[in-house]
Amino acid sequence: MCGIIGYIGRRDAAPLIVEGLKKLEYRGYDSFGVATLGTTGIDLAKHQGRISEKAGTAARLKGKTGIGHTRWATHGIPNDRNAHPHTDCTGKIAVVHNGIIENYADLKRHLQSRGHTFRSETDTEVIVHLIEEEYSIKPDLLTAVQAVIPKLEGSYAILVIAAGEDRIIAARNMSPLVIGVGDGEFFAASDITPVIEFTERAMYLEDGDTVSLTNKKIEIFHNGKPAARSIELIDWSLEDVRKGGFAHYMLKEIYEQPQAFYNTIRSVDPVSLPEEVLQAKSVTLVACGSSYHTGLIFTYLLESICGIPARLEFASEFKYFPPPVTGLVIGITQSGETADTLAAIRHARTSGCSTLAITNVLGSSVTRIADTTLFMRAGPEISVAATKSFIAQLAILMQMVNCLSERKYDDVLQQAHKVIEEVLLVDLSEAVMVCKKAQSIFYVGRGPFYPVSLEGALKMKEISYIHAEGYSAGELKHGPFALLSPETPVIALCMPGDTYGVMISNIKEMKARGAPVIAIGVAGDRDLPDIVDIFISVPKTPLFIQILTSLVTEQLLAYHTAVALGRDVDKPRNLAKSVTVE
Amino acid sequence: MQAIILAAGEGVRVRPLTRSRPKAMIPVANRPIIEYVIDALIKNGIRDIVVVVGYRKEQVTRFLNGLGLPIEVVFQEKQLGTAHALQCAESKIKGDFLVLPGDNYIDPQSIARIKDTPNAILVKEHPNPSNFGVVLLNNGLVTDIVEKPEHSPSFMVSTGIYSLKKSFFSHIRGTDITDAISVMIRAGEHIQAVPADDWQDAIFAWDLLKMNRRLLKNLPTAREGTASRQTIIQGPVSIGKGTTIGPNTVITGPVVIGNDCTIGPNTVIMPNTSIGSRVRLDPFTMTGDAIIMDDTIIGSHSRIIDTVVGERCNLADHTSVSTAAGVMDIEGCTIRSEFGAVLGNNITSGPFTAYKNCIVGNNVTIEGQESITFRTLPDGSLVI
Repeated sequence: MCGIIGYIGRRDAAPLIVEGLKKLEYRGYDSFGVATLGTTGIDLAKHQGRISEKAGTAARLKGKTGIGHTRWATHGIPNDRNAHPHTDCTGKIAVVHNGIIENYADLKRHLQSRGHTFRSETDTEVIVHLIEEEYSIKPDLLTAVQAVIPKLEGSYAILVIAAGEDRIIAARNMSPLVIGVGDGEFFAASDITPVIEFTERAMYLEDGDTVSLTNKKIEIFHNGKPAARSIELIDWSLEDVRKGGFAHYMLKEIYEQPQAFYNTIRSVDPVSLPEEVLQAKSVTLVACGSSYHTGLIFTYLLESICGIPARLEFASEFKYFPPPVTGLVIGITQSGETADTLAAIRHARTSGCSTLAITNVLGSSVTRIADTTLFMRAGPEISVAATKSFIAQLAILMQMVNCLSERKYDDVLQQAHKVIEEVLLVDLSEAVMVCKKAQSIFYVGRGPFYPVSLEGALKMKEISYIHAEGYSAGELKHGPFALLSPETPVIALCMPGDTYGVMISNIKEMKARGAPVIAIGVAGDRDLPDIVDIFISVPKTPLFIQILTSLVTEQLLAYHTAVALGRDVDKPRNLAKSVTVE
Repeated sequence: MQAIILAAGEGVRVRPLTRSRPKAMIPVANRPIIEYVIDALIKNGIRDIVVVVGYRKEQVTRFLNGLGLPIEVVFQEKQLGTAHALQCAESKIKGDFLVLPGDNYIDPQSIARIKDTPNAILVKEHPNPSNFGVVLLNNGLVTDIVEKPEHSPSFMVSTGIYSLKKSFFSHIRGTDITDAISVMIRAGEHIQAVPADDWQDAIFAWDLLKMNRRLLKNLPTAREGTASRQTIIQGPVSIGKGTTIGPNTVITGPVVIGNDCTIGPNTVIMPNTSIGSRVRLDPFTMTGDAIIMDDTIIGSHSRIIDTVVGERCNLADHTSVSTAAGVMDIEGCTIRSEFGAVLGNNITSGPFTAYKNCIVGNNVTIEGQESITFRTLPDGSLVI
């Protein structure tokens, strides 16, 4: 998981690459580096730390051609030496890489035995030494890269430059790479966010593609043969990826949720849902992180409302189960690049299942692997903690439930965005005061509110670094109850409906153990405010919207707690936006 | 040239419409007031714009982000007056600048007149000057400025639009810009008074109807939705994307209707009406001289005139509003007024509810068959 960018054209490459890397920083931010084709050879600058904090000398490199990298460490600790770009023994070739070379240990041994000196602990460095060997036989960068590609196992998107050749060679396999097509200039980047400032024409590469970029033309090869890729117009605007006046991307994205939900509901046309969905006898979902929680909410709704059996697996665990031979497999991934989810969908396809992907990124890898794709209309999500993409995933899944139950919920889904808007006004200051002092927080709910609790806890731990766990309220008594004390606040989701009565008794039990209880309930509830310490009221609505309102309340609680603790909300420690390694 | 737009204040006298947004964000003729201010600046070639936000800042910021203009946002944590708001933006100010309130309409010509005159105030005559900063003039120069006097010595008021130099900040003493202007006058500086052409401020919620009438005059005709062939549309009428107008509906412009609305059949929309997006107007309903905001549903056989209806209201069938003159108690002041009703957000009222010269707060539920007359209902009330 890293971000890479390359530029060739008429402008100075380095400042442009530095700005681009800042936009890719959500993909990794422990070190960064830039290499350009200078007057005398390759100029290089790389540093440990965040590019947004100190670009250092990187922006001052000269040259109209360059590559850059922002790193999320997998092999080798974050330091200056392990930062990309990596150069060969002669210092004439530089490479940046996103992904993991799985056979790097083998390759490295062989290269060392042939006299190559390694300067870093990364897997990436083997690539540049391999290219060096080929280049010494025939000094043509494209030929050299094409000769090296078959030797690499694993995932990669690489950009290579060599002194004396005014071009960039790019290659991808199972890691994202998009080409921005400008006027006499080309961009290559892990995603389109750094590119859209300059051009709205993009070319999405496929696995096995090798590309040669000069300032005049682009040549694409697939497994060594010339190939063509269509140019697509990007419909995201630059404003979409700017923070605007918001203190954090996360807050901006939380406030964009009413629109994201509404747009997504409107975009999933009930009549055009794929046949596989409408005819599904059973459904298996694969997902990671927050997407797993949306999947869990979906299984509750699908089973209880439509009577269709649903199974949910972590994408990373899916391969350890024999996949179902029939039925529909749905993969949920915001970025469309989550390595585990991609692997799970491939796994399902090879065993003959029909596959459906739900993603936020047009042209992402998952769209080429799955049989059909449904797009969320969330717009680019920059903050590491998923908010609006979560809501948009739910919009798609709720719309599917709606379509499978004779569209009973049309009215409910159409009005959901208004209620989300209302929840944005809820005052959480009291609850934040309690949460920010806590070492541990428990989130409890029942039925579909159990996954909502899981998500609430995930948001809290991700960005505030407070230990938080979600439990089904019933399970709490089977062990975790021992942890309750006056120092462990409990966030209880207590909405009217099937779960209300038993939630009230559960809350009373927790109160009896002295735990402060913060309850999220509906306006006009007469009993709940009396038995809990802090009552947060959201508008009274049908079940589908209750899920959304409680979720948004939890997001805001996590956000404000993290801000009160002075955390770096958009870039929490150790985390990256999408995990493109298994 | 730079422009600083002040949009941090709530606008308490326009409650209950300011619960989810500051006054600058209230839609008039389907666009937030601040958008007209920004438009007028852009028409004058002023693109370097800073907006000071405070109350419900997220809503303002989200809106500004959607405009696609490089607008800068600065945050005023506590609303301590206009001079303090300006100080929040001080670090962004490079040289001469304009200051404009985000919640007043101003026409581009007036801005053209003041923008090249440093140290000037845009002034306008107003029949009720005591709600404003009153200016005393001599030969086109301001001799004194008095904030909200009880007995006004003049009908000439400050529009709150100033053209200033960076050195203005050294004169700030009190909390308001008017205080600093007085300091400048006493120090012997010349402050020009520049007359404004068209300036509109809505002091109270019902004043929005007058502003609406005025702003609908500039309405371009647009037809993006679908109207039945049996519909009669006269005058300037703008119909948004995805809106459907049922048969036998009569619309007399100026009228603006947003996106994804369902109107009619058999409804009447009279002049000076602004209807937001996703609004439903059921059959046999008539409306005129009204602002109806997003996501509101108005039941059949209703009559909605001289009225501001907030977002997400659900007014059942046979709702009727009648105009009357009365006396309102707003923020401790007694104000004479004449209008139908001002309804906040998310109001549910049952069938046969009658409104007359009243203000209804947000999230109010009225069971029906009730008359809400010459009253102010607080937020969250339940009328049974």
